[in-house]
Amino acid sequence: MDTSDDSRLDRAVGRVLNVGVTASSACLGIGLGLSMFAGTAGAAHLLLNAGLVVLMATPVGRVIISVREYALERDWAFVLLTTIVLLELAGSLLAAVR
Amino acid sequence: MPLITPTLAAIVFGAGAVAGGLGALLGIGGGVFLVPFLNLALNFPFTAAAAISLTTVIATSSAVSAGRTGKHLINLRLGMVLEVATVAGSLLGGVTAQFLAQSTLQKLFGIVAAVVAVVMVSRIGRRNVILDPSADPGVLGGRFYDEESGGVVTYRVKKLPVALFASFLAGDVSSLLGIGGGVIKVPALNAWCGVPLRAAAATSAFMIGVTATGGAVIYYGHGQLIPSLAAAAVLGVQVGSWSGLRIGDRAPVRWLKLLMAAVLVVVSALMFIHSRG
Repeated sequence: MDTSDDSRLDRAVGRVLNVGVTASSACLGIGLGLSMFAGTAGAAHLLLNAGLVVLMATPVGRVIISVREYALERDWAFVLLTTIVLLELAGSLLAAVR
Repeated sequence: MPLITPTLAAIVFGAGAVAGGLGALLGIGGGVFLVPFLNLALNFPFTAAAAISLTTVIATSSAVSAGRTGKHLINLRLGMVLEVATVAGSLLGGVTAQFLAQSTLQKLFGIVAAVVAVVMVSRIGRRNVILDPSADPGVLGGRFYDEESGGVVTYRVKKLPVALFASFLAGDVSSLLGIGGGVIKVPALNAWCGVPLRAAAATSAFMIGVTATGGAVIYYGHGQLIPSLAAAAVLGVQVGSWSGLRIGDRAPVRWLKLLMAAVLVVVSALMFIHSRG
């Protein structure tokens, strides 16, 4: 097994992280601007929370992409490991809402 | 808790920029500076400070790792394996933080800040070791082109249980204290597990995003994350770390490390003093 096989996964992960950071920063920046200077509380609140959710969803998204890529490569050991990480993150979500 | 005003948001943005810049220059996360500033200087509850700091950890991890993919510096496989331990740790830490008194968290932070200071000073001149490029990296090892030495570095991962334990501890501390946890993982991976420093640092920076998410989600769900200030801190840290990376080699990093180690010793002492009320 050669680690250089992971270059496709590498690119996919890079894309997810890039899109996530850009989208969340945009939401947070506009939301912060609105909440400080425009007095539009509703829109600001929505954008700020959307930005935070996208921020936290970004690493989760790259784990999901990894599960998919490892499944396509039929690398079952890593499908299992990345799935465990997803389950642990689901545990965090559960601990967050109760 | 202070009232949220544009001035306060500007202060938090500035604090984030300084923390992010220092983090990029020193090769550590900025959380260890941001959390005490929010908690001790601005009087936010420790949990609110940790929550805000964790969001900046996620943003830094995603931004830095996005720019690094394709260079093989991040060891994806090793990262995925160790994340099983870091995220388990951060889940535990996030749940535990809900039950601990602020004074306990401050004492814990005091200890970790002192450890960071010692690690920073003791590893001040550390460089990579070049291994035989024809060696077989195995399943978890890696191979990357090292710009500093101009050669290909190949390494195998040794003592995986040690790496897993350090990762679990790092994840736990990350959630409890609002830092990335690289300060625990990177020296362990480098000193005991055979991972070259730059690969260990890049892989750790990659892992802390998902690790911090495990904790941040819990704080967010419990209403401890203040969205507008998290936004200010995240944007500040991004500006700061971008600038820090640009300044990069021109900065007197050695002196900066000594100075910041001294700052951390003071932070550690302040945390202990505050924890006693």
